Amino acid sequence: MDKRRITRWHVFGWIFLVFLLIYAVTPLLWMLITSFKSQFAALQYPPDLYPKNPTTEQYVRLLSPQNDVGRQFLRYLLNSIMVSTVTTILGVAVAVPAAYAFSRFRFPGRKALFFSVLFRNMFPAVVFLMPLFIMMRWMGLVNTYSSLVITYLTFGLPLSIWLLKGFYDNIPVQLEQAARIDGCTRFQAFYLIVMPLSAPGIIATAIYSFITAWNEYVYALTFLNDDQKLTLPVGLQRFFTEYATNWPGLMAASFIMSVPVVAMFLILQKYFVRALTEGAVKA
Amino acid sequence: MSRPHRSEPSSRGLIGQIIDHRWDYLYVLPALGVMMLVIAYPIYYTFYLSFFRTPPSLAMSEKIFNGFDNYATVLGSDSFQQVTWNTIVWTVWSTFFALILGLGAALVLNREFMGRGLLRGLLLIPFVISAVAASYIWRWIYHSDFGVLGAVLFDLGLIDGKLNLLDNIDMVLPSLIVVNVWKEFPFAMIMILAGLQTVPDQLLNAARVDGAGAFHRFWHVTLPHLKGVLIITVLLLFVQNLNHFIIPWIMTGGGPAGASDIWITQIYQIAFGRIRFGIASAYSVILFLVMVVIGYFYVKALTGDEDRQAH
Repeated sequence: MDKRRITRWHVFGWIFLVFLLIYAVTPLLWMLITSFKSQFAALQYPPDLYPKNPTTEQYVRLLSPQNDVGRQFLRYLLNSIMVSTVTTILGVAVAVPAAYAFSRFRFPGRKALFFSVLFRNMFPAVVFLMPLFIMMRWMGLVNTYSSLVITYLTFGLPLSIWLLKGFYDNIPVQLEQAARIDGCTRFQAFYLIVMPLSAPGIIATAIYSFITAWNEYVYALTFLNDDQKLTLPVGLQRFFTEYATNWPGLMAASFIMSVPVVAMFLILQKYFVRALTEGAVKA
Repeated sequence: MSRPHRSEPSSRGLIGQIIDHRWDYLYVLPALGVMMLVIAYPIYYTFYLSFFRTPPSLAMSEKIFNGFDNYATVLGSDSFQQVTWNTIVWTVWSTFFALILGLGAALVLNREFMGRGLLRGLLLIPFVISAVAASYIWRWIYHSDFGVLGAVLFDLGLIDGKLNLLDNIDMVLPSLIVVNVWKEFPFAMIMILAGLQTVPDQLLNAARVDGAGAFHRFWHVTLPHLKGVLIITVLLLFVQNLNHFIIPWIMTGGGPAGASDIWITQIYQIAFGRIRFGIASAYSVILFLVMVVIGYFYVKALTGDEDRQAH
């Protein structure tokens, strides 16, 4: 078989890939290029395709607590880190036992439960927004991080459970049975055998929760209005309304905001992709 | 007592089975508890509110029952038709292009070559970054005075004068779809890539030996194997697009003159802009009913999947 033969489909494929790459990457490059321009240099027509006098002034301003903008931005950054981390830890703690049960046990209602879990994906965020807003107001949680953590936790759960179940399905039940025969309790078998084996799944799920919480906008927009409490996506919008013409600053902020999630994602790409596609392709 | 993987049907009734398995429920209880509070209750409450006129103060004790008035208001409003049409255009085209680009990328990336992992990683970045950041990046690219896209198109001689996309009634929705596709074609790509792993090599080779060309191999061998993944991917994309809020909201706020307003931005505007929770709830219920119809097919596609992997 001549795998190396170049057919016109190959040529067509490569051309397609080049175009796709341009489409996918140029906007990101343009964000980066703009962020190294001065505010004055950015507002030129026609725009310079690379910064003639590259400057890091925007990054310095955003990341130094010496000035108002930096203090505000670091505050948003810290809020985002806090909300995302707490959401991730709680989410994994709740999803692990549930996913294990869905994968292993055959209790009545298991299927119905599982699809009610998946069903949540079908509902538009706004259906929840108004009742949750009223509920948060009633519980005095408006303007607190808890309101976001509770919401993100719940909305992340269905997919987390679905991802983790896929991993548990792949771990042979015989391993646990052997451990049970050797005298482990069911919980010990779960804790000592299944947990370590599903570590990649747990990591992937955790990353997924973190990225979702980090990028979430609608609930943060609605539940928070205290300037000190905002997370990055809403903070970015606040920045835009305040400094409307400072595009380099906005691009620098967008870049800083993207770095953690892109880095996490690229390092753990393999697990993540596997987790995301696990359920869908098993045939 | 409960045992893992019992295959024989229990001789006891439902209640008996539930009692048998009572400890199993303990594992799902935390998840269920949170979801009852944050998912089940709000769904019920949205239905309930859709029959009331709510005061702008949101003091819910002062709401007034008004039957189906809110539904009549929504369906009879001047903008409803246009917003619905925008929603259809937005959802269908976004899904279509994300799927086509994702499928193409997956097919090309499915063969081994140097730097494949790097390419896949690069193509996935738009999918992971925040939609808010993405919206601002594209707003800057589209900028009518200083945008790079306008400058490039002008240099190429494709336009004369300024490029006006986001303030142009005819161009705004297609421009937003370009951003949305940019953000979500990678998702289709990885789903389909994973699906391609399940296509047996022997079958492709056999077809090759039999003299089937690349297109025939794709059409008769690869595509039938991808069917399940494609169905799920389309449904997930469709639902995601129907619910998408951030890109239109940040980039245009639904404007100009409602040309990029879709159901979801409209509902948000009614609820938190005009503080009309009753009307917005009725609107949500309509959207919800559409979702239920789609959800029916979604669950059906997924259960089909589940049956195939039956023990």
